[in-house]
Amino acid sequence: MSNLLQRDREIILSNEYVDNFDFAEVEDFVKNASKNLFISHKFKTNKGKTLVQPRGGFPTYDKMYALYEEFAPVVDVLPMTIDSHTRLNDYGSAAKMLRLSEETETDLLNGYPLINQGYRTSRKMVTHFDTPVSLRHGTPDARLLVEMAIASGVFEIEGGPITYILPYSKNFPQDKAFLYWKHVEKVCAKYSTLNEPINRESFGPLTATLVPPCITIVIQIAEMMLSLEEGVKSFSVSFAQTGSLNQDLVTSKVLRKCANKYAKKIGCEDATINLVYHQWMGAFPRDKFKSDSLIDAGAMIAAMVKADKIITKTRAEAFGIPTKEDNAQAVSNVQYTLNMLRGIPDFSDEEEEENLEREVDEIFEAIFNDPADTLWRKVFNSIKSGIIDVPFSPHIINNNELITVRDKQSNIRIYKKGKLPLSEKSFKYEQSKIDLGENPNSVVNQIIKDIGVML
Amino acid sequence: MKVVTGVVGNDIHVVANRLIDISLQSRGYEVFNLGVNTYLEEFIDAVIETDAKVLLISSLNGEAEGWCRDLMVLKDKYKLQDIVFVIGGNLSVGEGDEGLIVPKFKEYGFDLVFHQVDLMEGLDMLDKFVKDIK
Repeated sequence: MSNLLQRDREIILSNEYVDNFDFAEVEDFVKNASKNLFISHKFKTNKGKTLVQPRGGFPTYDKMYALYEEFAPVVDVLPMTIDSHTRLNDYGSAAKMLRLSEETETDLLNGYPLINQGYRTSRKMVTHFDTPVSLRHGTPDARLLVEMAIASGVFEIEGGPITYILPYSKNFPQDKAFLYWKHVEKVCAKYSTLNEPINRESFGPLTATLVPPCITIVIQIAEMMLSLEEGVKSFSVSFAQTGSLNQDLVTSKVLRKCANKYAKKIGCEDATINLVYHQWMGAFPRDKFKSDSLIDAGAMIAAMVKADKIITKTRAEAFGIPTKEDNAQAVSNVQYTLNMLRGIPDFSDEEEEENLEREVDEIFEAIFNDPADTLWRKVFNSIKSGIIDVPFSPHIINNNELITVRDKQSNIRIYKKGKLPLSEKSFKYEQSKIDLGENPNSVVNQIIKDIGVML
Repeated sequence: MKVVTGVVGNDIHVVANRLIDISLQSRGYEVFNLGVNTYLEEFIDAVIETDAKVLLISSLNGEAEGWCRDLMVLKDKYKLQDIVFVIGGNLSVGEGDEGLIVPKFKEYGFDLVFHQVDLMEGLDMLDKFVKDIK
């Protein structure tokens, strides 16, 4: 089996854009790499502190280096956001745009083209800063990218077969994505035995548009199980600020509890499971003072849910890619707020938590009851049949029957459940919170209002 | 009544597309939603296949014009004169002058053209237009 994996890796790495990948040298590098590069190690040694990570990536080495220099004094984890050509495995276009970016000193890529930059070059930068780096991308087929990342010293890999497909793609075959990510998990698991574990992180925000917590949690845990069953030992589940303080608290509780419950169910309770919180991922206000408020509230909620890591936004969010100064300022402010909130007491809402956990269990019962022989096929069939349904996914496989709106407290509630296998009790609870009035246009008007809730 | 809808070209604005879908359904239309990133030929195929009476194309990133120039040719080729063709959204890159844009798209063969018009207002006009031809 491992020989088969190695053969696949050799084929994937004998790519015309990869300059002579040296497997033995890379293995040696990982084995002897500084512990400070492993976020899995930082989670262990910084228990109780919410690690802060911004977003960011620039095409050229010099600008990327300058970004890390700006970040280094304030961040706990550095981001490496990959450009969109590389995400689509179009390394030719990425190479061309990188050359033009270097020649014209303008950014013609929206991230760092890791394949074209190469792992030898990128490793110099990563090891120089000696801080964990997190790979942020959105790639359906990340088999090559992940090899290059680990070879560069990037020991946290974001993504997954569902969370990088349903929000991002119209027709990338979902079944292929499962198999490509299965390969990625195996590679991460293999490297995890050499030093500290590679951390895998799922992308909880999904479409960031009225996604109900039960769907977020089910998808987080499905990707977690698919990763752990291949041997990954450190995994972060995540979710984004919902727009309701209470729903964030409830989601964090149930997500943590169920993640541990289902890891145990598949015999993987030895893995470490972390919780990551994304500040508001929806449309941002154009008023920078309001943005600051929104970011502050996000930092506060991260402290309340005792997140192991928070991923930050900036006051410039509504205006495009932020400058490195804006970005570092946002991190510094979040650190300041978090520092103020150390030792915050525990909150709970038993009724809401009970209902959400029951919804998650009901959906998983249906997934596990699918007759397919492997977990990824069960999950795949469940997406096809609408047991898993992501609001506002552009993908053709998504069922699109689930409709959600906000209630008076801004909680996201299920208005039409489509094929979600919710019991009458669970669905009635959701319905009991919704109040739309009589106007036949009111659902759509309500949705428009609910999407723009932070504007 | 059957409606085919979707977002034309390399445009992935899915939120508006879903809202159009839900709104059309709540007005009693039978909706065939091709989703984002749809080419003109795919729209025409779907109209023929489903025997739809209305084709509602939306575009948000402003690239609609390049994709819709051939509509007249396809209309003639497949004899689609009785189909109601509607386009709406942001129909030009940047602000755009409604006084120029609307006649241009009508020349391409659209019956109703909505440039930066409120969704409900546009659908009210579609309802009325469909009722008037009956």
